[in-house]
Amino acid sequence: MTGRSPLSEPLLTVSDVSAGYLGEDVVHDVTFTVGEGDAVAIIGSNGAGKTTLFRTICGMMQNTGGTVTFGGTDITTAGAHQVARAGLAYVPAERHLFPEMSVRDNLILGAYPDRPSAERMALVFELFPRLAERERQHAGTMSGGEQQMVAVGRALMSEPTLLMLDEPTTGLAPKLAAEAYQALAALREQGLTVLIAEQQVPLALALADRGYVLENGRIQLAGTSEELASNPDVRRAYLGVA
Amino acid sequence: MKAAILDGIVLGLQYGLLGVGLTLVYGLGGVLNLAHGQLAVLGAIITALSFDAGLPIVPAIAVGLACAATAGLVLDLTLMRPVYRLRGEPRVLLGLLLMLGLAFIIDGFLVWRYPIQSLSIRIGGDPIPILGVRMRTGSLIASAVTIAAGASLVAFFRLTTAGRAVRSVIQDEEGARLCGINPARVRTFIFALSGFLACLVAVTRSMTAPVTVTNGIDFTTLALIVAVVGGLGSVSGAFLAGIVLGIVNTISSFYIGTYITTIMLLVAAALTIVIRPSGILGGRT
Repeated sequence: MTGRSPLSEPLLTVSDVSAGYLGEDVVHDVTFTVGEGDAVAIIGSNGAGKTTLFRTICGMMQNTGGTVTFGGTDITTAGAHQVARAGLAYVPAERHLFPEMSVRDNLILGAYPDRPSAERMALVFELFPRLAERERQHAGTMSGGEQQMVAVGRALMSEPTLLMLDEPTTGLAPKLAAEAYQALAALREQGLTVLIAEQQVPLALALADRGYVLENGRIQLAGTSEELASNPDVRRAYLGVA
Repeated sequence: MKAAILDGIVLGLQYGLLGVGLTLVYGLGGVLNLAHGQLAVLGAIITALSFDAGLPIVPAIAVGLACAATAGLVLDLTLMRPVYRLRGEPRVLLGLLLMLGLAFIIDGFLVWRYPIQSLSIRIGGDPIPILGVRMRTGSLIASAVTIAAGASLVAFFRLTTAGRAVRSVIQDEEGARLCGINPARVRTFIFALSGFLACLVAVTRSMTAPVTVTNGIDFTTLALIVAVVGGLGSVSGAFLAGIVLGIVNTISSFYIGTYITTIMLLVAAALTIVIRPSGILGGRT
Protein backbone atom coordinates (compact mmCIF):
# COMPACT_ATOMS: atom_id res chain seq x y z
CA MET A 1 0.00 0.00 0.00
CA THR A 2 2.78 2.41 0.91
CA GLY A 3 6.51 2.15 0.46
CA ARG A 4 7.22 0.96 4.00
CA SER A 5 9.24 -2.16 4.59
CA PRO A 6 6.98 -5.20 4.95
CA LEU A 7 9.15 -6.41 7.83
CA SER A 8 8.33 -3.58 10.24
CA GLU A 9 5.07 -4.24 12.00
CA PRO A 10 2.56 -1.38 11.81
CA LEU A 11 1.77 0.56 15.01
CA LEU A 12 -1.95 -0.08 14.63
CA THR A 13 -3.46 -3.00 12.77
CA VAL A 14 -7.20 -3.22 12.34
CA SER A 15 -8.19 -6.50 10.71
CA ASP A 16 -11.67 -7.54 9.61
CA VAL A 17 -13.30 -5.46 12.32
CA SER A 18 -17.08 -5.44 12.45
CA ALA A 19 -19.08 -3.53 15.02
CA GLY A 20 -22.52 -2.13 15.64
CA TYR A 21 -25.40 -1.55 18.01
CA LEU A 22 -28.16 -3.87 19.21
CA GLY A 23 -27.11 -6.77 17.01
CA GLU A 24 -26.97 -4.67 13.85
CA ASP A 25 -23.49 -4.11 12.42
CA VAL A 26 -22.66 -0.61 11.26
CA VAL A 27 -19.03 -1.37 10.41
CA HIS A 28 -18.26 -4.42 8.26
CA ASP A 29 -14.91 -6.23 7.95
CA VAL A 30 -12.75 -3.11 8.04
CA THR A 31 -9.03 -3.70 7.58
CA PHE A 32 -6.30 -1.06 7.60
CA THR A 33 -2.98 -0.24 9.21
CA VAL A 34 -1.23 2.80 10.59
CA GLY A 35 2.57 2.76 10.69
CA GLU A 36 4.72 4.73 13.08
CA GLY A 37 4.98 8.36 11.97
CA ASP A 38 2.07 7.99 9.52
CA ALA A 39 -0.83 10.36 9.18
CA VAL A 40 -3.86 8.43 7.99
CA ALA A 41 -7.34 9.77 7.23
CA ILE A 42 -10.58 7.82 7.29
CA ILE A 43 -12.93 9.85 5.14
CA GLY A 44 -16.61 9.40 4.65
CA SER A 45 -19.92 11.14 5.00
CA ASN A 46 -22.11 11.37 8.08
CA GLY A 47 -23.31 7.92 9.12
CA ALA A 48 -20.63 6.04 7.18
CA GLY A 49 -19.48 4.36 10.42
CA LYS A 50 -16.37 6.42 11.18
CA THR A 51 -17.30 7.10 14.81
CA THR A 52 -18.36 3.50 15.44
CA LEU A 53 -15.06 2.30 13.98
CA PHE A 54 -13.06 4.69 16.16
CA ARG A 55 -15.01 3.90 19.32
CA THR A 56 -14.38 0.21 18.69
CA ILE A 57 -10.64 0.72 18.21
CA CYS A 58 -10.26 2.77 21.40
CA GLY A 59 -12.23 0.28 23.53
CA MET A 60 -15.34 2.37 24.10
CA MET A 61 -17.43 -0.35 22.53
CA GLN A 62 -17.00 -4.04 21.81
CA ASN A 63 -16.54 -5.28 18.27
CA THR A 64 -18.54 -8.17 16.84
CA GLY A 65 -15.68 -9.53 14.78
CA GLY A 66 -12.03 -9.06 13.86
CA THR A 67 -9.02 -7.94 15.87
CA VAL A 68 -7.21 -4.73 16.75
CA THR A 69 -3.48 -4.77 17.52
CA PHE A 70 -1.66 -1.75 18.89
CA GLY A 71 2.08 -1.64 19.43
CA GLY A 72 2.27 -5.42 19.07
CA THR A 73 -0.42 -6.12 21.68
CA ASP A 74 -3.93 -7.36 20.99
CA ILE A 75 -6.27 -4.67 22.34
CA THR A 76 -9.48 -6.08 20.84
CA THR A 77 -11.10 -6.73 24.21
CA ALA A 78 -9.26 -4.10 26.26
CA GLY A 79 -11.29 -1.41 28.01
CA ALA A 80 -10.99 2.24 27.02
CA HIS A 81 -8.87 3.12 30.04
CA GLN A 82 -6.43 0.30 29.25
CA VAL A 83 -6.14 1.39 25.63
CA ALA A 84 -5.53 4.96 26.75
CA ARG A 85 -2.78 3.86 29.13
CA ALA A 86 -1.16 1.82 26.36
CA GLY A 87 -0.51 5.10 24.51
CA LEU A 88 -3.47 5.46 22.18
CA ALA A 89 -5.09 8.83 22.82
CA TYR A 90 -8.56 9.39 21.38
CA VAL A 91 -10.24 12.76 20.94
CA PRO A 92 -13.97 12.16 20.30
CA ALA A 93 -16.04 14.61 18.30
CA GLU A 94 -18.07 15.47 21.43
CA ARG A 95 -14.74 16.08 23.24
CA HIS A 96 -15.93 14.79 26.64
CA LEU A 97 -14.10 17.42 28.67
CA PHE A 98 -14.61 17.90 32.41
CA PRO A 99 -16.80 21.01 32.28
CA GLU A 100 -16.54 22.00 35.96
CA MET A 101 -12.77 21.78 36.03
CA SER A 102 -10.20 24.32 34.98
CA VAL A 103 -8.28 23.97 31.74
CA ARG A 104 -5.26 23.14 33.84
CA ASP A 105 -7.03 20.33 35.74
CA ASN A 106 -8.34 18.91 32.46
CA LEU A 107 -4.78 18.82 31.14
CA ILE A 108 -3.42 17.31 34.38
CA LEU A 109 -5.92 14.45 34.09
CA GLY A 110 -4.72 13.83 30.56
CA ALA A 111 -1.45 12.59 32.06
CA TYR A 112 -3.26 10.20 34.48
CA PRO A 113 -2.05 8.24 36.44
CA ASP A 114 1.21 10.23 36.38
CA ARG A 115 1.73 13.80 37.46
CA PRO A 116 2.32 15.74 34.26
CA SER A 117 5.81 17.05 33.60
CA ALA A 118 6.25 20.82 33.32
CA GLU A 119 7.77 20.34 29.86
CA ARG A 120 4.71 18.53 28.60
CA MET A 121 2.42 21.26 29.90
CA ALA A 122 4.67 23.90 28.30
CA LEU A 123 4.55 22.02 25.00
CA VAL A 124 0.74 22.04 24.97
CA PHE A 125 0.68 25.74 25.88
CA GLU A 126 3.16 26.45 23.09
CA LEU A 127 0.90 24.67 20.61
CA PHE A 128 -2.21 26.42 21.96
CA PRO A 129 -1.16 29.75 23.53
CA ARG A 130 -4.86 30.50 24.09
CA LEU A 131 -4.99 27.74 26.72
CA ALA A 132 -2.14 29.31 28.70
CA GLU A 133 -4.18 32.52 28.89
CA ARG A 134 -7.28 30.61 29.98
CA GLU A 135 -5.54 28.16 32.31
CA ARG A 136 -7.91 28.77 35.23
CA GLN A 137 -11.14 29.01 33.28
CA HIS A 138 -13.66 26.17 33.56
CA ALA A 139 -13.62 24.08 30.40
CA GLY A 140 -17.42 24.10 30.21
CA THR A 141 -17.51 27.89 29.79
CA MET A 142 -15.19 27.99 26.78
CA SER A 143 -16.03 28.36 23.11
CA GLY A 144 -16.15 25.36 20.79
CA GLY A 145 -12.75 26.12 19.28
CA GLU A 146 -11.14 26.50 22.68
CA GLN A 147 -12.75 23.28 23.91
CA GLN A 148 -11.29 21.50 20.91
CA MET A 149 -7.86 22.82 21.91
CA VAL A 150 -8.37 21.53 25.45
CA ALA A 151 -9.43 18.14 24.11
CA VAL A 152 -6.37 17.80 21.88
CA GLY A 153 -4.13 19.21 24.61
CA ARG A 154 -5.52 16.74 27.15
CA ALA A 155 -4.87 13.85 24.74
CA LEU A 156 -1.28 15.04 24.21
CA MET A 157 -0.57 15.16 27.95
CA SER A 158 -0.26 11.38 28.08
CA GLU A 159 2.59 11.53 25.53
CA PRO A 160 0.67 9.18 23.23
CA THR A 161 2.26 7.13 20.47
CA LEU A 162 -0.93 7.43 18.41
CA LEU A 163 -3.36 10.35 18.37
CA MET A 164 -6.82 9.49 17.06
CA LEU A 165 -9.22 12.31 16.29
CA ASP A 166 -12.86 12.00 15.32
CA GLU A 167 -13.99 15.01 13.28
CA PRO A 168 -11.95 17.63 15.13
CA THR A 169 -13.67 20.39 13.17
CA THR A 170 -17.18 19.57 14.44
CA GLY A 171 -19.02 22.79 15.18
CA LEU A 172 -16.08 25.00 14.26
CA ALA A 173 -16.22 27.96 11.88
CA PRO A 174 -14.08 27.46 8.73
CA LYS A 175 -11.32 29.73 10.04
CA LEU A 176 -11.12 27.83 13.33
CA ALA A 177 -11.24 24.50 11.51
CA ALA A 178 -8.24 25.56 9.43
CA GLU A 179 -6.45 26.64 12.61
CA ALA A 180 -7.14 23.27 14.22
CA TYR A 181 -5.57 21.57 11.23
CA GLN A 182 -2.54 23.86 11.41
CA ALA A 183 -1.98 22.68 14.97
CA LEU A 184 -2.30 19.06 13.86
CA ALA A 185 0.18 19.68 11.04
CA ALA A 186 2.65 21.04 13.59
CA LEU A 187 2.23 17.88 15.71
CA ARG A 188 2.72 15.75 12.67
CA GLU A 189 5.96 17.55 11.85
CA GLN A 190 7.17 16.60 15.33
CA GLY A 191 6.73 12.99 14.30
CA LEU A 192 3.44 12.15 16.04
CA THR A 193 1.40 9.37 14.43
CA VAL A 194 -2.09 10.60 13.62
CA LEU A 195 -5.30 8.79 12.64
CA ILE A 196 -8.15 11.09 11.77
CA ALA A 197 -11.78 10.61 10.81
CA GLU A 198 -13.17 13.48 8.82
CA GLN A 199 -15.93 14.50 6.47
CA GLN A 200 -14.18 17.76 5.58
CA VAL A 201 -12.15 15.83 3.06
CA PRO A 202 -9.89 18.59 1.68
CA LEU A 203 -8.55 19.38 5.15
CA ALA A 204 -8.02 15.72 5.99
CA LEU A 205 -6.24 14.90 2.74
CA ALA A 206 -3.99 17.94 3.10
CA LEU A 207 -2.82 16.62 6.48
CA ALA A 208 -2.63 12.88 5.80
CA ASP A 209 -0.18 10.88 3.66
CA ARG A 210 -2.84 8.37 2.82
CA GLY A 211 -6.47 7.68 3.39
CA TYR A 212 -9.33 5.23 3.29
CA VAL A 213 -12.82 6.00 2.08
CA LEU A 214 -15.49 4.50 4.32
CA GLU A 215 -18.97 4.10 2.87
CA ASN A 216 -21.84 2.25 4.56
CA GLY A 217 -19.40 0.75 7.01
CA ARG A 218 -17.06 -0.69 4.39
CA ILE A 219 -13.76 0.55 3.04
CA GLN A 220 -14.44 1.33 -0.61
CA LEU A 221 -11.17 2.90 -1.60
CA ALA A 222 -7.63 3.26 -0.31
CA GLY A 223 -4.67 5.23 -1.52
CA THR A 224 -2.26 8.07 -0.96
CA SER A 225 -3.77 11.48 -0.38
CA GLU A 226 -2.81 12.55 -3.91
CA GLU A 227 -4.43 9.48 -5.44
CA LEU A 228 -7.63 10.03 -3.49
CA ALA A 229 -7.72 13.75 -4.21
CA SER A 230 -7.47 13.07 -7.93
CA ASN A 231 -9.89 10.12 -7.92
CA PRO A 232 -13.01 11.16 -9.89
CA ASP A 233 -15.39 9.40 -7.47
CA VAL A 234 -13.85 11.08 -4.44
CA ARG A 235 -13.85 14.43 -6.20
CA ARG A 236 -17.51 14.07 -7.04
CA ALA A 237 -18.64 12.79 -3.68
CA TYR A 238 -16.47 14.73 -1.21
CA LEU A 239 -14.66 17.55 -2.92
CA GLY A 240 -17.64 19.11 -4.61
CA VAL A 241 -16.03 18.83 -8.05
CA ALA A 242 -18.00 17.45 -10.98
CA MET B 1 -27.27 32.74 69.91
CA LYS B 2 -23.50 32.73 69.32
CA ALA B 3 -23.31 29.34 70.98
CA ALA B 4 -26.11 28.05 68.76
CA ILE B 5 -24.34 29.21 65.61
CA LEU B 6 -21.00 27.77 66.71
CA ASP B 7 -22.69 24.48 67.61
CA GLY B 8 -24.50 24.61 64.30
CA ILE B 9 -21.31 24.96 62.32
CA VAL B 10 -19.70 21.98 64.06
CA LEU B 11 -22.86 19.91 63.65
CA GLY B 12 -23.03 21.11 60.07
CA LEU B 13 -19.53 19.87 59.29
CA GLN B 14 -20.59 16.46 60.59
CA TYR B 15 -23.68 16.63 58.36
CA GLY B 16 -21.38 17.54 55.50
CA LEU B 17 -19.15 14.51 56.09
CA LEU B 18 -22.23 12.33 56.29
CA GLY B 19 -23.73 13.76 53.11
CA VAL B 20 -20.54 13.79 51.07
CA GLY B 21 -20.28 9.98 50.99
CA LEU B 22 -23.88 9.59 49.88
CA THR B 23 -23.56 12.30 47.27
CA LEU B 24 -20.35 10.84 45.82
CA VAL B 25 -21.66 7.29 45.58
CA TYR B 26 -24.71 8.64 43.79
CA GLY B 27 -22.73 10.97 41.55
CA LEU B 28 -20.37 8.19 40.48
CA GLY B 29 -22.67 5.24 40.03
CA GLY B 30 -26.27 6.45 40.32
CA VAL B 31 -26.75 4.41 43.50
CA LEU B 32 -28.67 6.15 46.26
CA ASN B 33 -27.24 4.40 49.29
CA LEU B 34 -30.21 4.12 51.64
CA ALA B 35 -28.07 1.99 53.98
CA HIS B 36 -25.56 4.81 54.45
CA GLY B 37 -26.58 5.48 58.07
CA GLN B 38 -26.72 1.76 58.79
CA LEU B 39 -23.06 1.44 57.75
CA ALA B 40 -22.27 4.28 60.18
CA VAL B 41 -24.10 2.55 63.02
CA LEU B 42 -22.58 -0.83 62.14
CA GLY B 43 -19.09 0.70 62.46
CA ALA B 44 -20.07 2.44 65.71
CA ILE B 45 -21.46 -0.74 67.26
CA ILE B 46 -18.35 -2.68 66.21
CA THR B 47 -16.29 0.04 67.90
CA ALA B 48 -18.37 -0.36 71.09
CA LEU B 49 -18.06 -4.18 70.98
CA SER B 50 -14.29 -3.98 70.45
CA PHE B 51 -14.01 -1.59 73.37
CA ASP B 52 -16.11 -3.88 75.56
CA ALA B 53 -13.88 -6.76 74.52
CA GLY B 54 -10.93 -4.93 76.05
CA LEU B 55 -9.40 -2.90 73.25
CA PRO B 56 -8.36 0.67 74.16
CA ILE B 57 -10.72 3.23 72.65
CA VAL B 58 -8.49 4.50 69.81
CA PRO B 59 -7.76 1.04 68.35
CA ALA B 60 -11.42 0.16 68.88
CA ILE B 61 -12.40 3.17 66.77
CA ALA B 62 -9.86 2.11 64.13
CA VAL B 63 -11.47 -1.34 64.00
CA GLY B 64 -14.94 0.22 63.61
CA LEU B 65 -13.77 2.55 60.85
CA ALA B 66 -11.97 -0.27 59.04
CA CYS B 67 -15.07 -2.48 59.21
CA ALA B 68 -17.35 0.26 57.85
CA ALA B 69 -14.90 0.96 55.00
CA THR B 70 -14.59 -2.76 54.23
CA ALA B 71 -18.37 -3.12 54.26
CA GLY B 72 -18.57 -0.35 51.63
CA LEU B 73 -15.86 -1.99 49.56
CA VAL B 74 -17.46 -5.43 49.69
CA LEU B 75 -20.90 -4.02 48.88
CA ASP B 76 -19.56 -2.30 45.79
CA LEU B 77 -17.85 -5.48 44.59
CA THR B 78 -20.79 -7.81 45.28
CA LEU B 79 -24.31 -6.43 45.70
CA MET B 80 -23.70 -3.50 43.36
CA ARG B 81 -22.32 -5.56 40.46
CA PRO B 82 -25.71 -6.24 38.83
CA VAL B 83 -26.67 -2.61 39.46
CA TYR B 84 -23.69 -1.18 37.58
CA ARG B 85 -24.49 -3.42 34.63
CA LEU B 86 -27.76 -1.52 34.14
CA ARG B 87 -28.10 2.01 32.79
CA GLY B 88 -30.40 4.93 33.49
CA GLU B 89 -33.58 4.55 35.52
CA PRO B 90 -33.39 0.76 36.05
CA ARG B 91 -29.94 1.24 37.62
CA VAL B 92 -31.19 3.93 40.02
CA LEU B 93 -34.22 1.84 40.99
CA LEU B 94 -32.38 -1.44 41.51
CA GLY B 95 -29.66 0.35 43.52
CA LEU B 96 -32.30 2.03 45.66
CA LEU B 97 -34.19 -1.19 46.37
CA LEU B 98 -31.11 -3.29 47.13
CA MET B 99 -29.72 -0.67 49.50
CA LEU B 100 -33.10 -0.25 51.19
CA GLY B 101 -33.25 -4.00 51.71
CA LEU B 102 -29.73 -3.99 53.09
CA ALA B 103 -30.68 -1.18 55.50
CA PHE B 104 -33.50 -3.34 56.87
CA ILE B 105 -31.18 -6.32 57.19
CA ILE B 106 -28.51 -4.38 59.10
CA ASP B 107 -31.13 -2.70 61.33
CA GLY B 108 -32.84 -6.01 61.99
CA PHE B 109 -29.62 -7.84 62.73
CA LEU B 110 -28.35 -5.19 65.15
CA VAL B 111 -31.66 -4.90 67.02
CA TRP B 112 -31.95 -8.68 67.25
CA ARG B 113 -28.38 -9.40 68.24
CA TYR B 114 -27.34 -6.28 70.21
CA PRO B 115 -30.60 -4.60 71.29
CA ILE B 116 -29.14 -2.50 74.10
CA GLN B 117 -25.68 -1.89 72.66
CA SER B 118 -24.68 1.72 72.00
CA LEU B 119 -21.52 3.72 71.46
CA SER B 120 -20.93 6.56 73.85
CA ILE B 121 -17.43 7.96 74.11
CA ARG B 122 -17.05 10.04 77.25
CA ILE B 123 -14.19 12.48 77.41
CA GLY B 124 -13.70 14.19 80.77
CA GLY B 125 -12.19 17.57 81.61
CA ASP B 126 -13.55 21.02 82.26
CA PRO B 127 -15.29 23.02 79.52
CA ILE B 128 -12.89 25.21 77.53
CA PRO B 129 -13.92 28.68 76.35
CA ILE B 130 -13.81 29.14 72.55
CA LEU B 131 -14.78 32.60 71.20
CA GLY B 132 -16.46 33.30 74.53
CA VAL B 133 -18.48 30.06 74.42
CA ARG B 134 -17.70 27.33 76.92
CA MET B 135 -17.39 24.03 75.06
CA ARG B 136 -17.04 20.55 76.45
CA THR B 137 -13.84 18.66 75.69
CA GLY B 138 -15.88 15.96 73.94
CA SER B 139 -17.45 18.40 71.49
CA LEU B 140 -14.10 20.10 70.98
CA ILE B 141 -12.38 16.85 70.02
CA ALA B 142 -15.36 15.91 67.85
CA SER B 143 -15.13 19.30 66.13
CA ALA B 144 -11.39 19.04 65.64
CA VAL B 145 -11.68 15.56 64.08
CA THR B 146 -14.56 16.69 61.88
CA ILE B 147 -12.76 19.82 60.69
CA ALA B 148 -9.57 17.88 60.01
CA ALA B 149 -11.47 15.23 58.05
CA GLY B 150 -13.37 17.88 56.06
CA ALA B 151 -10.18 19.79 55.26
CA SER B 152 -8.37 16.60 54.21
CA LEU B 153 -11.25 15.70 51.92
CA VAL B 154 -11.31 19.10 50.26
CA ALA B 155 -7.52 18.98 49.80
CA PHE B 156 -7.81 15.46 48.40
CA PHE B 157 -10.41 16.45 45.81
CA ARG B 158 -8.77 19.75 44.82
CA LEU B 159 -5.07 18.94 44.91
CA THR B 160 -4.39 15.26 44.30
CA THR B 161 -4.51 13.38 41.03
CA ALA B 162 -6.70 10.67 42.58
CA GLY B 163 -9.14 13.30 43.84
CA ARG B 164 -9.32 14.94 40.43
CA ALA B 165 -9.89 11.50 38.92
CA VAL B 166 -12.93 10.99 41.18
CA ARG B 167 -14.40 14.34 40.12
CA SER B 168 -13.67 13.62 36.48
CA VAL B 169 -15.76 10.42 36.57
CA ILE B 170 -18.70 12.37 38.04
CA GLN B 171 -18.40 15.09 35.38
CA ASP B 172 -17.83 12.92 32.32
CA GLU B 173 -17.32 9.19 32.71
CA GLU B 174 -16.40 8.67 29.06
CA GLY B 175 -13.88 11.50 29.20
CA ALA B 176 -12.37 9.92 32.31
CA ARG B 177 -11.97 6.58 30.56
CA LEU B 178 -10.23 8.33 27.66
CA CYS B 179 -7.73 9.69 30.19
CA GLY B 180 -6.93 6.17 31.39
CA ILE B 181 -9.12 6.29 34.50
CA ASN B 182 -11.01 3.12 35.43
CA PRO B 183 -14.44 4.26 36.69
CA ALA B 184 -15.12 0.90 38.37
CA ARG B 185 -12.03 1.28 40.56
CA VAL B 186 -12.99 4.85 41.44
CA ARG B 187 -16.50 3.71 42.44
CA THR B 188 -15.16 0.94 44.68
CA PHE B 189 -12.76 3.32 46.39
CA ILE B 190 -15.47 5.93 46.97
CA PHE B 191 -17.92 3.36 48.35
CA ALA B 192 -15.28 2.33 50.89
CA LEU B 193 -14.45 5.98 51.67
CA SER B 194 -18.13 6.77 52.19
CA GLY B 195 -18.45 3.91 54.70
CA PHE B 196 -15.38 5.21 56.51
CA LEU B 197 -16.70 8.78 56.63
CA ALA B 198 -20.17 7.72 57.78
CA CYS B 199 -18.63 5.73 60.63
CA LEU B 200 -16.35 8.66 61.49
CA VAL B 201 -19.43 10.86 61.89
CA ALA B 202 -21.08 8.27 64.12
CA VAL B 203 -17.93 8.06 66.26
CA THR B 204 -17.65 11.85 66.64
CA ARG B 205 -21.38 12.10 67.40
CA SER B 206 -20.94 9.53 70.14
CA MET B 207 -18.62 11.98 71.92
CA THR B 208 -21.61 14.19 72.71
CA ALA B 209 -24.59 11.81 72.56
CA PRO B 210 -24.88 8.00 72.46
CA VAL B 211 -25.25 6.29 69.09
CA THR B 212 -27.71 3.40 69.39
CA VAL B 213 -28.52 0.45 67.14
CA THR B 214 -31.66 2.18 65.87
CA ASN B 215 -29.93 5.39 64.76
CA GLY B 216 -29.23 4.15 61.22
CA ILE B 217 -32.39 5.62 59.71
CA ASP B 218 -31.66 9.01 61.33
CA PHE B 219 -28.19 9.13 59.80
CA THR B 220 -29.50 8.02 56.41
CA THR B 221 -32.24 10.66 56.45
CA LEU B 222 -29.76 13.38 57.40
CA ALA B 223 -27.32 12.30 54.71
CA LEU B 224 -30.11 12.28 52.14
CA ILE B 225 -31.29 15.77 53.11
CA VAL B 226 -27.73 17.14 53.01
CA ALA B 227 -27.04 15.52 49.63
CA VAL B 228 -30.28 16.84 48.13
CA VAL B 229 -29.76 20.39 49.42
CA GLY B 230 -26.12 20.37 48.33
CA GLY B 231 -26.91 18.86 44.95
CA LEU B 232 -26.33 15.14 44.32
CA GLY B 233 -22.76 14.65 43.18
CA SER B 234 -21.42 17.91 44.58
CA VAL B 235 -18.69 17.72 47.25
CA SER B 236 -18.51 21.42 48.10
CA GLY B 237 -22.32 21.56 47.92
CA ALA B 238 -22.58 18.84 50.57
CA PHE B 239 -20.34 20.75 52.97
CA LEU B 240 -22.11 24.06 52.37
CA ALA B 241 -25.51 22.38 52.78
CA GLY B 242 -24.28 20.61 55.91
CA ILE B 243 -23.25 23.87 57.55
CA VAL B 244 -26.46 25.71 56.57
CA LEU B 245 -28.59 22.81 57.83
CA GLY B 246 -26.51 22.47 60.99
CA ILE B 247 -27.21 26.11 61.84
CA VAL B 248 -30.91 25.71 60.93
CA ASN B 249 -31.00 22.68 63.20
CA THR B 250 -29.43 24.24 66.28
CA ILE B 251 -31.28 27.55 65.95
CA SER B 252 -34.67 25.93 65.49
CA SER B 253 -34.11 23.57 68.40
CA PHE B 254 -32.83 26.52 70.48
CA TYR B 255 -35.83 28.77 69.77
CA ILE B 256 -38.61 26.32 69.00
CA GLY B 257 -37.76 22.86 70.25
CA THR B 258 -35.96 19.67 69.29
CA TYR B 259 -39.17 18.07 68.01
CA ILE B 260 -39.28 20.55 65.13
CA THR B 261 -35.72 20.15 63.82
CA THR B 262 -36.14 17.15 61.50
CA ILE B 263 -39.25 18.77 60.06
CA MET B 264 -37.32 22.01 59.51
CA LEU B 265 -34.56 20.11 57.73
CA LEU B 266 -37.04 18.30 55.49
CA VAL B 267 -38.70 21.63 54.70
CA ALA B 268 -35.28 23.02 53.75
CA ALA B 269 -34.71 20.03 51.45
CA ALA B 270 -38.18 20.35 49.89
CA LEU B 271 -37.68 24.08 49.32
CA THR B 272 -34.33 23.39 47.68
CA ILE B 273 -35.90 20.93 45.25
CA VAL B 274 -38.56 23.49 44.34
CA ILE B 275 -36.24 26.50 44.03
CA ARG B 276 -32.94 24.97 42.89
CA PRO B 277 -33.48 21.35 41.81
CA SER B 278 -29.77 20.79 41.20
CA GLY B 279 -28.79 21.93 44.72
CA ILE B 280 -27.50 25.14 46.24
CA LEU B 281 -24.34 25.14 44.17
CA GLY B 282 -26.21 24.14 41.03
CA GLY B 283 -24.79 20.66 40.67
CA ARG B 284 -21.10 21.54 40.67
CA THR B 285 -18.64 18.91 41.77
